[in-house]
Amino acid sequence: MAISFKQIEDKLKTEAKGLLETGKVSLVLAYGKGYDEKHPMPYAAKNAADAANIVFNEYCAANMARYLVRYPRGTKIAIAVKAADSRAVIQLIQEDKVKREDLVLLGIPVYGIKNFKTGEIIDSKTTGGLYNPVLYDILLGEEVHGQPVNSPYDVLVQYEAMDNEARWVFWKKEFDRCIRCYACRKACPMCYCDPCFIDQNKPKWGEKSPDSQGNLMYHLTRFHHLAGRCIDCGECSRACPVDIPLYLFHKKVAKECEEMFGQAAGMSIEDKPVLVNFRVDDSDKILA
Amino acid sequence: MLKKTSISEISDLAAQLMGKGALIAPVREEAGFNFREISDAKQVDLNFYNTIISPKSAFFPQTEDFVRYQTGKDILEATPVELNIKPAFLFGVRPCDVKSFEIMDIHFTGTGAVDPYWQKRREAAAIFGYAFDLNTPADGADFYSTLGIGAADPEGSDVFMIKKGDDLLLKAITPKGEKLLAEMSVLSDATPDDLNYFDDTVAAGRAFKTRFTCVEAKPIAKKFEDLFGNTEFWEKVSNACLSCGACTFVCPTCYCFDICDETLFGKGTRRRVWDACMFTDFTLEASGHNPRTKVYQRLRQKVCHKYSYHIRKYGPISCVGCGRCTRACPVNIDIFSIVDEAMKA
Amino acid sequence: MSFEPKILGIACNWCTYTGADLAGTTRLQYPQNLRVVRVMCSSRINPSFIFRAFQLGADGVLVGGCHPGDCHYNTGNLYARRRLAVAKKILEFSGIEPGRFRVEWISASEGNKFAEVVTEFTQQVKNLGPQTQFKISQ
Repeated sequence: MAISFKQIEDKLKTEAKGLLETGKVSLVLAYGKGYDEKHPMPYAAKNAADAANIVFNEYCAANMARYLVRYPRGTKIAIAVKAADSRAVIQLIQEDKVKREDLVLLGIPVYGIKNFKTGEIIDSKTTGGLYNPVLYDILLGEEVHGQPVNSPYDVLVQYEAMDNEARWVFWKKEFDRCIRCYACRKACPMCYCDPCFIDQNKPKWGEKSPDSQGNLMYHLTRFHHLAGRCIDCGECSRACPVDIPLYLFHKKVAKECEEMFGQAAGMSIEDKPVLVNFRVDDSDKILA
Repeated sequence: MLKKTSISEISDLAAQLMGKGALIAPVREEAGFNFREISDAKQVDLNFYNTIISPKSAFFPQTEDFVRYQTGKDILEATPVELNIKPAFLFGVRPCDVKSFEIMDIHFTGTGAVDPYWQKRREAAAIFGYAFDLNTPADGADFYSTLGIGAADPEGSDVFMIKKGDDLLLKAITPKGEKLLAEMSVLSDATPDDLNYFDDTVAAGRAFKTRFTCVEAKPIAKKFEDLFGNTEFWEKVSNACLSCGACTFVCPTCYCFDICDETLFGKGTRRRVWDACMFTDFTLEASGHNPRTKVYQRLRQKVCHKYSYHIRKYGPISCVGCGRCTRACPVNIDIFSIVDEAMKA
Repeated sequence: MSFEPKILGIACNWCTYTGADLAGTTRLQYPQNLRVVRVMCSSRINPSFIFRAFQLGADGVLVGGCHPGDCHYNTGNLYARRRLAVAKKILEFSGIEPGRFRVEWISASEGNKFAEVVTEFTQQVKNLGPQTQFKISQ
């Protein structure tokens, strides 16, 4: 079964129009026209007329969940979510950044979404191995079945096989390229701290200038802050102007968290994020 | 003076330039090309469209150390960092980026306050401009022709290079370039045919079109002044903006920086690092007050600085249409689409 | 000269730090490579402390807290256990030898254990040699 992007686009438009007309929501977060076909932009439709500007095509990789925290609490928002994006919304609900009752989730079951910078299909790398939204109110289209099931952690094999020294050489090279534009943290739906720890002066956690020491501190701490919260949408890596594969590290941490604590991020609104939770019978083996 | 060399022998030219100073040229990296100082002549690769980060970093590096000091003593010992500048060759700069140096000169040397770091590096460097390939269409993000910059404009370069089949034609534009080319023994003399080709390409470059039609600076500046208080407009265009610094860091005409003191174990460095008006803490004051807390305010500052305040204060638009910000943007915000929309508003 | 590692110890006020005191008052011998910082609870330890310690030249980091269930604040060390486990995995995946970071539960009455752990850990770090990866060159 091939995905009809046009059909999803039409359904998105109809639902958005209906929701805005009836006043159920004051805002629909979806995709709009960019400067050309291949470069759609995140778009916020604010009235029924705006709904006609919504587009959806294979380049709509953006995770719209990151815009949720920008609006005042209590704003009624409808949001277009793909598989990984719906997990981001769940995670935000778990962290009480948004309320379930304020949201209408327009679920998009889809595969074959492409990175607009490289044209590469992102399915096998950064969708958490899912095609269907985990949580939705309205499903736009039919659930996807029969697509190859990717373990989200398959891409890690070659890095886990490296010895410590080789991994250090790999990451040092990657982090040294960082220009500290902070696109990764701004594109991340889970990075909503204001101010971010790296912008603090007292205490000063790391150097502000883009050299290896400050970059290492920034990235390692960010990986820790996203432990058990990263939902594998891959926005950090797609946003990076110098293509640092941050998603690999996030995946590794997510994998370890899943193994240690038996819970993946953003799968149920009943869960608590693993690092603000504990079990008395957590094994000391995890520290070994 | 017009000279030529075969593109397959470009590393010979590179090696000869490296004998005279630092050669800074596009190098293929993981994410694309970037200007780097060349250590091996074979690294020079002219099969690039344009670099990810602009060549401004050759004169205005992301991190520049000013002073080193020691703390913990009664008297603070501080020694300025010696500016060790050697002749440099900036090789393969696209015409729009060459134009950007002219705009940056206004800020670093043209307003009375002279930045010695920029000035000395700039004086020590010879610029080898390189025409865009007119046989391939311009990248969808570029709009240099909109701002009146040709795809093969030699102005501003010391030597200008145009590709002709398997050959590279090099023409000296300034006396500095003239002297340099005369010293390059690996180059051969060009034929009258080559000279015609060179002139034709420069002319064809002026006719080469990127997105949007040609614009005039003054009406845009005026329009943005009128639009300043139109919050609705700015909120609309900044809806998608993440307020990261990707656009400003890749931009050839963004020059904002921060001075920070970084001290460890009693030893410190006062250094200048790039800063971006898109960051929340860019305008944060010591009192805790922040005049630009909203994303739309920061995007408005960026667009208006380039397309309004700069025109009023210094004349030219502070943008060369290289398209880097549009390509680097994680959410595909296109600065000229904002200008276009403003003109229609 | 043989290599003497610098080891940062971060000890909780109620158990491990008191345990270290006990080791001292009972005149137990253990290597002097450990520099102890006292915190009120192991859950006060921000993982960035550990990353920063390695950057500032620590060859090893030893964290001590109360035994799970014995936390002075009831649940502090249960949070810390998860947090520090993640920090350890991050260090490991970034390419630092996992043996340079260790978490131990040492109660106020376990002066012996404190001395043993420090001796053993110091030897372990000694065998690994100087930590060069994270360390900021001066």
